[in-house]
Amino acid sequence: MSKGDFSSLASSIQAVASPFRQYLNDLHERYQGALDGAVADYIPELALADPHWFGICVVTREGQVFEVGDCDQLFTIQSISKAFVYGLALEDHGRDYVNSKVSVEPTGEAFNAIVLDEVTNRPYNPMVNAGAIATADLIKGDSATERLKRMLAMFKRYTGRDLDVNVPVFLSEKATGFRNRAIAYLMLNFGMVTDRVDETLDLYFQQCSIMVNAKDLAMMAATLANGGINPVTGERALDEHYVQDVISVMLTCGMYDYSGEWVYRVGLPAKSGVGGGITALAPGKLGIGTFSPPLDAKGNSYRGIKVCEDLSRDFGLHLFNVAKASRDLDGWLSGSGADSW
Amino acid sequence: MPKVVSIHSYRGGTGKSNFTANLATTLAVQGHRVGVVDTDVPSPGIHNIFSLEPEQAPITLNSYLWGEATIEEAAYDVGGAAGIAEAGRLFLVPSSVKADDIARVLKDGYDVKLLNDGFRKLVKALELDYLFIDTHPGLSKETFLSIAISHVLILILRPDKQDYQGTAVTIDIARQLNVRRMLLAINKAYSSLNFDVLRQKVEETYGAPVAGIFPLSEEVVQLASEGVFCTKFPGHPVSREFAKVAAQITAEG
Repeated sequence: MSKGDFSSLASSIQAVASPFRQYLNDLHERYQGALDGAVADYIPELALADPHWFGICVVTREGQVFEVGDCDQLFTIQSISKAFVYGLALEDHGRDYVNSKVSVEPTGEAFNAIVLDEVTNRPYNPMVNAGAIATADLIKGDSATERLKRMLAMFKRYTGRDLDVNVPVFLSEKATGFRNRAIAYLMLNFGMVTDRVDETLDLYFQQCSIMVNAKDLAMMAATLANGGINPVTGERALDEHYVQDVISVMLTCGMYDYSGEWVYRVGLPAKSGVGGGITALAPGKLGIGTFSPPLDAKGNSYRGIKVCEDLSRDFGLHLFNVAKASRDLDGWLSGSGADSW
Repeated sequence: MPKVVSIHSYRGGTGKSNFTANLATTLAVQGHRVGVVDTDVPSPGIHNIFSLEPEQAPITLNSYLWGEATIEEAAYDVGGAAGIAEAGRLFLVPSSVKADDIARVLKDGYDVKLLNDGFRKLVKALELDYLFIDTHPGLSKETFLSIAISHVLILILRPDKQDYQGTAVTIDIARQLNVRRMLLAINKAYSSLNFDVLRQKVEETYGAPVAGIFPLSEEVVQLASEGVFCTKFPGHPVSREFAKVAAQITAEG
C-alpha cells in the first residue's frame, strides 16, 4: 500500500466517520417525514416527481463531499439556472452593460409578474422571469445551438460533469409558456431585448430544463463559495470579479418573494427552483444542495428551507452572524473538535 | 455521552475476543449498559464466549448489512450467559457463522457507511453507555472505521517479535487517523517475565500507556473454557486486572 493509497483510504474513512456526516444524517431523518407543500404541476413532467425524494449534499471549499439521501436523483434545475446564467452574461458583457438591461432590485411581486421598472423599463432583477429572459438574451453566440452549448459548458465547469437538457420538459415549458412569451415581447416593445426573441425564449426554456442532482447544486454553490473555482476539479467556472455580483443577487432576490424573510432567518445567498432544488452557500466555507420536490406557497422547497435554516443556525453560517455558534464547523468537519455520539 | 471502544490486534490468536467479552462484562456488572458488535465478519467467534448458539441468533450483523433487518433486531441480551442477573445490561450483535453468509460478505463486500450508521443506531436504540467493537485481526476497512470513530482504541499484543512489529504499523495508522485515545493490553505474557519491566519497555517502544498485562496461564485457559471468566471468578487476579482496565476506560480523558 503506497502512501497515496493510504491517504485516500484514510480520507474516505474519515469522511464516513465525520461527525458532520452524522449531523446531516440526523437532519435528513428529522425532516424525512415533513411532507408539507405540494409538488409543482403546471406541466405534467414536474407532477411525476416523487414527493418522498429527499437529498442533502454539502461540499466544502476543500472539496470534501457529504451526501445523504437521494443525492443522485436527477431533476430539472428550473430557476436555479438564473443565477449562474447571470454570471455568464456578466462575463460576456461586463457589469455596466448588464446593469443597463437588468436591475438588481428585489421585488415583492411574484416571480412571473409582468412588471418592469416604470422609469428605465428594466426588469427588476435577474431572478424573476422577466430579468432571467433579458439575461438569457445577453448570452453570446451566433446560433441557438452555440448559445446553448456555451451555457452547458459553463454548467459543466461548475458541476464537473456533463449535463443534459430534458427534452420533454423543455417542450412542455415551451408549449405552455405564454406568460413568459408575453413578458419577452413586452421587453422587446421597450427595446430591452434584441429581436431574436423566439430563439432567446427557447434558450431560456432549455436552461430551465437542464437536469441536475443535489450533488451538482452543492458543487455549484461550493464553486461560488470558493471564489469561482470548482473545489474538486480546480477549474474556474466564473471570473472572480463577478462572484460577488452573482451571490449578492442570490442573497437579495434568490428565494422569490420569500427573499427578505430568508435573509433574516437563514442569511445565506441561495437560489431555489420549482423542481425542488435549492443551492445555497456560505462564502469561503461551503456549498449546500438540497432536493425535495414539495413546494411551499411561495414556490420554495419546504424541506430544503428547513435544512438550510438548521445548518445556518447550528453552525453559525448566517452572513451577519457575530455570535458563537453552538457547533464549530471546522471541528465537526475534521472530527477533532466534536463528539456526535 | 456514550463511548465507543474498539478492540484490535494486528495478528490473530491474541485472545482479542476473550478480552473484549471480559472487559464488556466487567463494565456491565458495574451497572453500565454495554453493547458488543462482532465485526470480525470473516471469522466470527465472540458469540461462543457468551454461549449464544447460531440457532438462537438467526438475525446477525450480516442481516443488517444486507438490509434484511435493523441493527437492533440483531442485538441479543447476553447478560444472563455472562453471569449478570439484571436484564438489559449486556447485548451482543453477532456475525453469521454460516459459510454462505461469510462468502457473500467477502465476495460482495458492503458499504462501510452502513456499518457506521448501524453503530450509531444501536447506541441510540439500546441507550448504550459503551459500545465495544470486536474487529478482525489485521488491517481492513472495518479496522480503519473503528479506529476513526472510537473514543478509546485498545490494541492487544503478545510480547513477541511479530506482534511488536505489527502493532507498530497499527499504531502508526491509528495516529494518522487522529485516534482520540489509545491503550495497549499485553496478553499471554509468560509468568516468568518481570511485568513492571515489560510494561516500561512496551510503553517506551510505542509511546502509549499499557492498560493491563495478562499472564499466559493454563489455569485461566481451563477455567475460561466456557462462560465469561470475570463473573465466574471475580476475585481472581485476572479479573482484577480487567477491573483495572475498565477503570481506565470509565475515567475521563
